[in-house]
Amino acid sequence: MFKTFIEPFRHPRPKFELGKGKGIFSRKSNTKTKNLQGTLRRIWSYLAQRKGKLAIVLLMVLLSSALGLLGPFLLGVAVDDFLETARLTGGEGGPTWIYFLAGLALVFVLQAITTWLHNIWMIGIAQETVYRMRMDLFTHLHKLPIPFYGKRQQGEIMSRLTNDIENVSSTLNSSAIQIFSSVLTLVGTLSVMLWLSPLLTVLTFTVVPLMALGLRWITRRTGPLFKERQRNLGELNGYIEETLSGQRIIKAFSQEKRVIREFEERNSRIRMSGFWAQTISGFIPKLMNGLNNLSFAIVAGIGGIMAIKGYISIGVVIIFESYARQFTRPLNDLANQWNTLLSAMAGAERVFEVLDEEVESRDEGAAVKLDQVQGAVSFQNVSFGYDEGRNTLEGITFEAKPGEMIALVGPTGAGKTTLIQLLSRFYDPSGGQILLDGRDLSSIQRESLRSHMAFVLQDSFLFDGTIRENIRFGRLDATDEEVEEAARLANAHSFIMRLNDGYDKVLKHGGSGISQGQKQLLAIARAILADPSMLVLDEATSSIDTVTEIKIQEGLQRLMQGRTSFVIAHRLNTIRQADRILVLKDGRLLENGSHDELLEQGGFYSELYHSQLKRAAM
Amino acid sequence: MGIVFTFLKKYRVAASAALLLMLIELSVELVQPLIISKIIDEGIQKSDLGLVWMWLGVLIVTAVIAFAAGIASSFFAAHTSQGLGYDMREELYDKVQSFSYSVFNRFATSSLITRLTGDVTQIQDTIFMGLRFMTRVPLVVTGSIMMALFVNVRLGLWLALTVPALFIFIAWVMKKAASSFSKVQRRLDSVNGVIQENLTGIRLIRVFVRMGHEIRRFALSSEQLMKGTVSTLRMTERTMPYILIVMNAAIIAVLWFGRYDIAAGSASIGEVVAVLNYTMRCIGAMSALSGLVMVLSRARASAQRVQEVMDTQDDAVQSSDSSFTAMTDKAAARSEAAIQGDVEFDHVSFSYPGSNIAVLEDITFRASSGERIAIMGATGAGKSSLVQLIPQLYQEASGTVRIDGQDAGQFDPESLRRNIGYVPQEVLLFSGTVKDNIAWGREDASLEDVMEAARKAQIHDTIESLPDGYDTMLGQRGVNLSGGQKQRLSIARALVRKPSILILDDSTSALDVRTEGALLDALTDISCTTFLITQKISTTTSADLILLLDDGRLIAQGGHEHLMRQSSLYRRIYESQYGEEAQHVQNIH
Repeated sequence: MFKTFIEPFRHPRPKFELGKGKGIFSRKSNTKTKNLQGTLRRIWSYLAQRKGKLAIVLLMVLLSSALGLLGPFLLGVAVDDFLETARLTGGEGGPTWIYFLAGLALVFVLQAITTWLHNIWMIGIAQETVYRMRMDLFTHLHKLPIPFYGKRQQGEIMSRLTNDIENVSSTLNSSAIQIFSSVLTLVGTLSVMLWLSPLLTVLTFTVVPLMALGLRWITRRTGPLFKERQRNLGELNGYIEETLSGQRIIKAFSQEKRVIREFEERNSRIRMSGFWAQTISGFIPKLMNGLNNLSFAIVAGIGGIMAIKGYISIGVVIIFESYARQFTRPLNDLANQWNTLLSAMAGAERVFEVLDEEVESRDEGAAVKLDQVQGAVSFQNVSFGYDEGRNTLEGITFEAKPGEMIALVGPTGAGKTTLIQLLSRFYDPSGGQILLDGRDLSSIQRESLRSHMAFVLQDSFLFDGTIRENIRFGRLDATDEEVEEAARLANAHSFIMRLNDGYDKVLKHGGSGISQGQKQLLAIARAILADPSMLVLDEATSSIDTVTEIKIQEGLQRLMQGRTSFVIAHRLNTIRQADRILVLKDGRLLENGSHDELLEQGGFYSELYHSQLKRAAM
Repeated sequence: MGIVFTFLKKYRVAASAALLLMLIELSVELVQPLIISKIIDEGIQKSDLGLVWMWLGVLIVTAVIAFAAGIASSFFAAHTSQGLGYDMREELYDKVQSFSYSVFNRFATSSLITRLTGDVTQIQDTIFMGLRFMTRVPLVVTGSIMMALFVNVRLGLWLALTVPALFIFIAWVMKKAASSFSKVQRRLDSVNGVIQENLTGIRLIRVFVRMGHEIRRFALSSEQLMKGTVSTLRMTERTMPYILIVMNAAIIAVLWFGRYDIAAGSASIGEVVAVLNYTMRCIGAMSALSGLVMVLSRARASAQRVQEVMDTQDDAVQSSDSSFTAMTDKAAARSEAAIQGDVEFDHVSFSYPGSNIAVLEDITFRASSGERIAIMGATGAGKSSLVQLIPQLYQEASGTVRIDGQDAGQFDPESLRRNIGYVPQEVLLFSGTVKDNIAWGREDASLEDVMEAARKAQIHDTIESLPDGYDTMLGQRGVNLSGGQKQRLSIARALVRKPSILILDDSTSALDVRTEGALLDALTDISCTTFLITQKISTTTSADLILLLDDGRLIAQGGHEHLMRQSSLYRRIYESQYGEEAQHVQNIH
């Protein structure tokens, strides 16, 4: 019993790096306060987009705060002027008393209405702000260069769009307005108090320096802690995402216990940072309350003495007390909101970190939009490496004439997919240049370039949605007939028709329920529908059986006619008709020529080709 | 909300301590107006300075006590809420991991993620608030009413009458808000779903230049979320003006009747002021209520979503799968014995849960330990479905899958799967180093074991050439490795388990012929039953048994020669790969 009782006090102390904001994204070592200010300013810039509405809200807050101050003041007047005299004049207060009460009632009603109005309007503004933040972040993610995604956990990025934004959302709803009204009420209270009795006011506020000190002590600790918590949450999110996406393999390897254990580690890290963030930030309202009770005592005691000595009236003491009480509420609110505000700041900061990531290098000023593409591609001494100092491609040089079919062949890891990624400008070469129709690729707008190409990527990704929608992704304005025609060419039509709902079958979880090969068929149909000037097939048929493949080949042949196309394949028989075969090995272009030419050369390609045949003959 | 209390049980000591400390804090606050009224009535009005000083001292001491109690309660409250959040995530995650694969697929991944993070955080924050000031509201209110009644019954009655009426009203709004909030959370799910999908398919979206399309789609779902949130929040906000107006009406009533009472001499000014003070306190506490209504209804919706996962039962047939958490004695006994690797399908039929289309029909074959079985067939013929039945990722609808002569469903899933190396068609790697990813297959694997597996999977040389060798970090899903390299890594991951049954689901599709050949040769050295799904005749020729599937049926089985004679489909596949080339080669030579 005792052990469980003292348990909360035995959590290991966190290490504080006071005054330092640490994040995996931040490159500059900003001081925390600067970060906080910057973050606040940016949130403000979002809010400021609704200036008109915000002004009305602020006006309402002003009104309701003023009315909130007027109420207690009138109560003090009631005690001094009406209740005190009641003993002398008897029960009847006369018309003034009734008018007075009516006025008081009006003040109360108006206060209720203005409070309600600013609250519901603020909700609208806050949610709109969050919506815009979410959209900005999402849009930004689509502008970030592909390498950004290579290095980060998907779930971690996701957490910024979900957990962190939600955090901002719940704070803006309630806190923003409360903080504002608290400050206003404080200022108002202060001025009325000063007007009534400067001495008593000074006494009431003797606790303020203590408050400031305490707050400083607390926020310097909670700031980093909240950030740590959000980061841990992001990591946990990443882990969850990864292990849930990989659920099949976890099941098959029966590694549940192990992932649960690793989950536990991350989970307890959140618990630690969360515990300290909450405990320490939980001191704030207590501190406020405690100091406030203290000032309450001071007012009552000293005020009482002053009243006895005749410096002030009893009414003033009562007003001061109710102000001291009134003063508690905004301060308490402010203190409570400060918690959520801090944690929201941590969330917002993480959102802005991503927004500050540099976008896919903006197409250079002179970048052109292509109306038409002939499809002449030329690689001139192109080199590229994902990491510094290790080139995946080295000195690649070749030409492809418009309408040619280029096959890329070579062992895994030779750089085939990388070459295609350069062509689509996911990455830009680190040496040499790529020309399209004689124009440097980097001088062409990315979107314009990609809109002239259609891709079938190695992993055939499908969206949640119907089969029809998934194929139509290739060309959004395609009619149902065109979608079906594309599916027919890709040889997907027959299997689609066998499904319960045909083209309207809803695919879930990235296409569970249909096989990998069928996914590839849909990906091919998607590319066919796009009807591009250039076609890129990265192992588009690797999971498709060879009988079906032959059928698709006819469709693909027709599609490739008059279009420059790049095809990566391991089954060499599918690329025999290629106009040119590029043989890559270890990032270098080993051989370059047609099937027959290469066979005659008797090099690497012919070796590959014969070994493939030999295995069949075994 | 019931589920929250179940979790709260473990922390009852800390939770009660937090509440108790808050109660102390609160009673101090409640006593204060009483002391003040004493200062006014006995001190100021009778001009007794000593009495004022004494009460002042009492006020300060109580303030200090309240402060100390507050600080301590912070520890207890944080301990409770963080512990509860931890336990809840833990249990949720355990539960999700215990789902059989088919039950798991009922939830969208993004929804599960939201439940594990967002929803739990919501509940946790609510508990923290609950222990610190939410419970304060009813306490302040009842305390104030009681004190007001104590000070002056007639005046206090005004307070005692208005408050309960308000509470009923608030409870009604809260109930409505909770259902509205669960709708909001569902919309949040769909927003998160779009996010996850976009992050996964980012490359595809880029190359098809569909950013605009996706952004519009996202805008639509986040707009719905925004609208839902706004209308729900506004609904809870409606309570605010009612509370203020009703409570302030009570103040006016106290003033009105207070004056009569003072005149009649049945109440003192101090008493009226005290009752006013208590009423103001009630207003203060209750105006926080509208915010609390929001938080509480939201937590209620989240709790329901957590409960939904917790309550999900594995289907009766699948029950064996959930037993992994508590391995039974009988299963433990069986798991000691290593599996030999005999696999037998006895009139097995299968369809995916929730679908009536038969994916496999009446499959019967036998594979002895150590054999190599190649599975061929058209796209969608049921090849992957067939091999998934061996580790019992799914269970057969009828017929029996037998391992070593025993019904596979009877095995403890863990001990069965420990003996199986499975390489799925789509490559799934985890964040971590190359070594971690291979050793993922067997935790106690030494570096030697890892290297040996890598060598057999023909990936050792590639790994050695990486900047940090086996310690090279892989991004999520193993970015920057080629498709074929990733495939071989996941093969190594299966091999490091030294399995009795190895399943390769088209796992060599991205490999060039030579690497694939070397890999298959290396596999012959390992004595395990190997199931190979493949499209390549070159691979099937070395198999002991070839299963030819067509539209869920096993239309032919046997060796290469046998099938060449017996099966026209097999011949067609053969020709599709070698027909022309064979002639072609002959022409050259």
